[in-house]
Amino acid sequence: MIKKILSVLLISAMLFSAVGCGKKETSSKDNTNDSAKETQMDTVDKKEEKEDKKLEVLGDTMKYDPNKEVNDGQPITIDFWTWDFVDIYQNLIDQYQEIHPNVTINLIETPWSDYWTKLPLSLNSKDSPAVFAIHNSYHDNLINYMAPYDIPLEELEADFLNVDSHLIDGNIYYMDYAMMTANLYYNKDMWQAAGLTEADFPKTWADVAEVAKKLTIKEGDQLVQAGFNYNGTFNQMVLGLNYQLDQNLFNEDGTATMNNEAMNKVVQYFVDLYRKDGVGSPDFGTSAGESFGQGQSAMIVMWGYYYNQLINDYPDVKFGILEVPKFSEDEDIYAYNRYNGESSLGISKNVSAEAQAVAQDFVRFSLANDEFLVNYSVRANCFPTKLSLANRPEILEHPVLSALAPNIDRYIWPGTMPSTVEDNMKIAGENILYNGMSVSDALAQAEATINSDLSNIDFVPVENMYKYAK
Amino acid sequence: MKVKVSKFILNMALLLLGILTLIPFIWMFFSSFKSNAEIKSLYQTFLPKEFTLENYITMNDNFNFVRFFGNSLFLSITVTFIISCTSTIAGFVLSKYQFKGRNLIFSFIMGTMMIPWAVTIIPKYSIIRSIGWMDSYAAIIVPVLFSGFGIFMLRQYCMGIPDELLEAARIDGANEFYIVGNIVFPLCRNAISSIAIFQFLWMWEDYLWPFIVINSEEKQVLAVGLKMFSGRFSTNYGGLFAATAVSIIPVIAVYLIFQNRFVDGITASAVKG
Repeated sequence: MIKKILSVLLISAMLFSAVGCGKKETSSKDNTNDSAKETQMDTVDKKEEKEDKKLEVLGDTMKYDPNKEVNDGQPITIDFWTWDFVDIYQNLIDQYQEIHPNVTINLIETPWSDYWTKLPLSLNSKDSPAVFAIHNSYHDNLINYMAPYDIPLEELEADFLNVDSHLIDGNIYYMDYAMMTANLYYNKDMWQAAGLTEADFPKTWADVAEVAKKLTIKEGDQLVQAGFNYNGTFNQMVLGLNYQLDQNLFNEDGTATMNNEAMNKVVQYFVDLYRKDGVGSPDFGTSAGESFGQGQSAMIVMWGYYYNQLINDYPDVKFGILEVPKFSEDEDIYAYNRYNGESSLGISKNVSAEAQAVAQDFVRFSLANDEFLVNYSVRANCFPTKLSLANRPEILEHPVLSALAPNIDRYIWPGTMPSTVEDNMKIAGENILYNGMSVSDALAQAEATINSDLSNIDFVPVENMYKYAK
Repeated sequence: MKVKVSKFILNMALLLLGILTLIPFIWMFFSSFKSNAEIKSLYQTFLPKEFTLENYITMNDNFNFVRFFGNSLFLSITVTFIISCTSTIAGFVLSKYQFKGRNLIFSFIMGTMMIPWAVTIIPKYSIIRSIGWMDSYAAIIVPVLFSGFGIFMLRQYCMGIPDELLEAARIDGANEFYIVGNIVFPLCRNAISSIAIFQFLWMWEDYLWPFIVINSEEKQVLAVGLKMFSGRFSTNYGGLFAATAVSIIPVIAVYLIFQNRFVDGITASAVKG
């Protein structure tokens, strides 16, 4: 028995010594409370010092004046929940607490998968987090617990893109810090090996088919390298490309339109890529993203999040990123694609009036803070909705964002699209590729199911809020 | 000869099942020494092609692993100890004391085992919140002070203790506390060991309840921390495997310590009464 206990202790000690070598980089986070307490004691001195300093007012049209006191300078603590971007939010909190030493903001990280279970439960009480990160796909679960922003609408509209699409009864409860959309990823080594150069970068989908043929490698009938792969991303990819052909996803009455001429053309193009051009196959793995990372596919279309996956999981892959191609060479197109917003922070309406006031002030600070917005956009691989930041070097040097920059105002947000849309378009793709259903029939079936589901959901598309809406 | 052959076949079958059970864990353990690129590479190998300790060294980058580990250890040991005590005492009383309503109480305790946890979690959450225990360990410990399964198991085991032994102790002047502490507990150590293993494991791997009631990072438990390796779009498998490998050490330790008594305890509780 003693031997067993000793052996267990020894193994534990070895593994813990390995873990102990790691150092948690949370110096600012761990020390936040201590430093806040210390600074609270010096509030009066700091206040005098601050008045002398005359801190610079932040923001363009929407301003943030750091010289104004919060909570009358009295100590106050609020909670801030998020599932990601902890270091970026902590940096924002540190900046805020430096300006307002009487405020302590506890940043609490919760895993994404269950964040949406715990947050609504908590928001139903006065002990809820005053500030919380939100994702627009959970709009319906959260909106009843949220307080509107205490910021004039015209100020937000002047600085940020597509604010109106978030209007609810004349109020903004959250908007977008940044926009995520799709790009074309290509493997640089494969590109070079196929004798292609930068001059061959595809501008249109017809160009994609041509270069994809050159990038495809087969051994007999066996596909070894796919020129283009969309396995597992069909729905994500095709939904939005209809805009390139002047077609919205939703009708004026809020119903979905999938089986239309434009969507048929979009889907048929991708089906032909596999069946006629033979540059890929539905049986060539189940995940285009993994296939690209594993060096089996030369081109894929993926959204901004994929950039981080490639960097982290496939560090050896040399890749480039291009703007998503068009169906015509016409420069003046309705829109390139759809985007989804990375939402700004939500404010709980159930916390005390004092905590809500601090939360309002903190959210305004985040929206006026260009450094934060740039850091956030770069980390999330999303284009900042504050267009005055579009020419910042951090944006222009970023592979994803620089590809989006030239036509960033030509992307549409269709609204908080219910999951039934993506789910049924995924089924449509599977029906076409694996079950031999015709494109039109598969889209008709998807459209019918989506509209049946939408009739039970309170969904209002906002395509009509698009700057160039038709 | 026939017995030997059948025993050999049985042992081989058990060995095979044992290996099949262990392979996923061994694969995970070896993978914890691989980079994420290698874990997700097209050509998989059982052993790491490039051995790295990076996943262990950077484990604390995702969350305060050591703190979460300590919290889980504290809660698991505390709850296991409390339940071992309450189960033994309640089991002893229900098996050896004659009083009106004894069987009714036991039936009620058994009934608590029939109610799925999903049914009780929302009322439990409301109660804890109205008491003001959110974000405190009381919210985790108090609801599990008594275990229906533990009481049932110990009651069955205590029924096997001869009444004459207890009577002899009483005649010699031992009071009830002395009997419980010096006779019942030592005699029930096999059953207590079984309960301890089960309870420690359940508490160690409990995710949902601690996740819901604990908000502060400094109080959070390891099962919740492990989820933090899974992000919105991707999972850090290397880190997850390394953290999981370390996280099962206490469970293995508890099992190794109590394993001999575990089988005896389960068997005895099953046949007695």
